[in-house]
Amino acid sequence: MQNEFAFFPGCVLTQAAIEAKMSLEAIAPVLGIKLKEINGWSCCGASQAQDVDPLATLVANARNLALAEKMNLPMLTTCSTCLLMLRRAKAQLDSGEKERINTFLAKGNMSYKGTSEVTSLLWVLAQNAELIKSKVQKPLSNLKVAVFYGCHSVRPGKDLGFESSVNPTSFETVIAALGAQVVPFTKRLDCCGFHAVYPAEKSVMKMTSGIVNSAAESKADCLVTPCPLCQMQIDIYQDDAQATTKSKARVPVLHLAQIVGLALGIPAKKLGLDYNVIDASKLG
Amino acid sequence: MKFIIDRFDGKKNYQQTYTVEKKDIEALTLLGTLLFIKQHLDLTLNFTASCRMAICGACGVRVNGHSYLACDTKMTELFEEYKDADTFRISPLSNYTVISDLAVDWEPAIENLRKVKPGLVAKDKFSEKEGCVQNQEEYDRIVGQWDCILCGVCASECNKLSADRSDYMEPFVYTHAWKVANDSRTKDPMIHVKPSVANGLWNCVHCHECTNRCPKHISAADDIAGLRALAMKKGLNSGVGPAHAKSFYTDLVEDSGRLNEIRLALRTEGVSTVLRAGTAVTLMSAGKMNPLEIFGGHEIEGHKDLVKMIEAAHAAHKE
Ligand code: SF4
Ligand code: SF4
Ligand code: FES
Repeated sequence: MQNEFAFFPGCVLTQAAIEAKMSLEAIAPVLGIKLKEINGWSCCGASQAQDVDPLATLVANARNLALAEKMNLPMLTTCSTCLLMLRRAKAQLDSGEKERINTFLAKGNMSYKGTSEVTSLLWVLAQNAELIKSKVQKPLSNLKVAVFYGCHSVRPGKDLGFESSVNPTSFETVIAALGAQVVPFTKRLDCCGFHAVYPAEKSVMKMTSGIVNSAAESKADCLVTPCPLCQMQIDIYQDDAQATTKSKARVPVLHLAQIVGLALGIPAKKLGLDYNVIDASKLG
Repeated sequence: MKFIIDRFDGKKNYQQTYTVEKKDIEALTLLGTLLFIKQHLDLTLNFTASCRMAICGACGVRVNGHSYLACDTKMTELFEEYKDADTFRISPLSNYTVISDLAVDWEPAIENLRKVKPGLVAKDKFSEKEGCVQNQEEYDRIVGQWDCILCGVCASECNKLSADRSDYMEPFVYTHAWKVANDSRTKDPMIHVKPSVANGLWNCVHCHECTNRCPKHISAADDIAGLRALAMKKGLNSGVGPAHAKSFYTDLVEDSGRLNEIRLALRTEGVSTVLRAGTAVTLMSAGKMNPLEIFGGHEIEGHKDLVKMIEAAHAAHKE
């Protein structure tokens, strides 16, 4: 198993989703995963900066990729939007942009070669489901889970490419390895709306609420998502979203690493469960 | 095996299940299967199709909730995608009004297309005698978008349209606007950009469903990003959408190199909203954010070099 990675936390993990970082740092040593944070990584553009300047965004991500290459390690991120931005940049560079962009990277004595792959926590866990199973201390057999992939962990399929984008299974594989029960959940591939929460607030609240309501209808004890941005959207804005649709349903939303940590028997406090806005303490 | 098909007779919606032998359809396309059902099991089943060769755009339908161009989809591909399922659910395109069974009403979408003036308004210098030529590079830039066959698959998948159609248009409408706005022969891109902005350009939720499902490998989401960048460049940059996107860029290039979430809320919405109940306040009260961050984070290692790289890219682009 590849167990050492150049870690790209992305801005959200260092700020609003610190519990995602805490839980990741708690599970990694138990699973034998070594994460070396990339020195000097920059924002990936977060699916926003390209609206202002696509070229600058590509340059910034070429630099991020080159930094990982210098470490001679594949790159790992837990944020689906970072994953998409980095993988798209890599695809662009590998299909003809490398030379042009390298002339710009040269201004900082850097160059992109194309030697480091970009992967995600979800994919690495799915590839090592058996290992996870063997490390489970507290099987989550009583927990009914609605798995929410969100957009950028599966779409566009050609850029992510790990599995089918209309019928993915990686997440279910991981949750099953933890012993938990995956409930049928119609919104599992929907969009939470995060990226348009400012310009299209009304629509986004409706989308977020629909996800919570659908999970509640499936009798899920919690929603889980591999993407810290989806977690943030569905957790932080849940009360607002439910108010706009006058729904009383409330469902806790866990980061992928948090639910893995629970099954590994790591205390709730170390997983940052008390940072979740919708009370998740009962799950710990 | 079974096909559960969503039907609509003009008054009521219902589902009908058709049982077929796998051997009869496994060598067919999805459209072939629909025709097989119509010919052998139920003459009343309605759907639309014409060219049968992925050109006319008439045969879009949904299978298990995801949109496909029926004539361009082999049954073997569906078997593979859905892991040898023996039941498929076929539905009309989403985000359209259903007329009958799998046939939908295109008129509102075409009305939206008209809004962005999808036809080329050529520069005045072109004449009947001189022609209206462009070089290979200019042609290559837009040729992908010319492939759009108006099948509606992207619109059917669009999460924003599903949430609210009143302030948004079908993704392909923005693709057509991008195409003419970026055509070297175009008189003025703003003829197409302005109505795009006025009709929801900033409301896309970045779900990439359109990109994912387009049978012609067009990314309407990227075209939307392209139109936004063009709009900003031409000074059409007021409002929450542009402010939000710009704050990411500012953090990346002018500030520390990383996003500052407290400043993001401020820059996007202004102080009043944050004082009311902005994201930043929610984050701070959840203990997830240090209010002192408002003064900015530490500059990332190598940020000055990053800025130099971006400046070099800009300089080369101007040449
Ligand atoms: S952009 Fe693609 S999916 Fe959308 S209408 Fe055109 S061809 Fe169909
Ligand atoms: S990315 Fe935007 S245009 Fe494309 S389907 Fe999603 S909301 Fe619609
Ligand atoms: S029948 Fe014309 S595109 Fe399918």
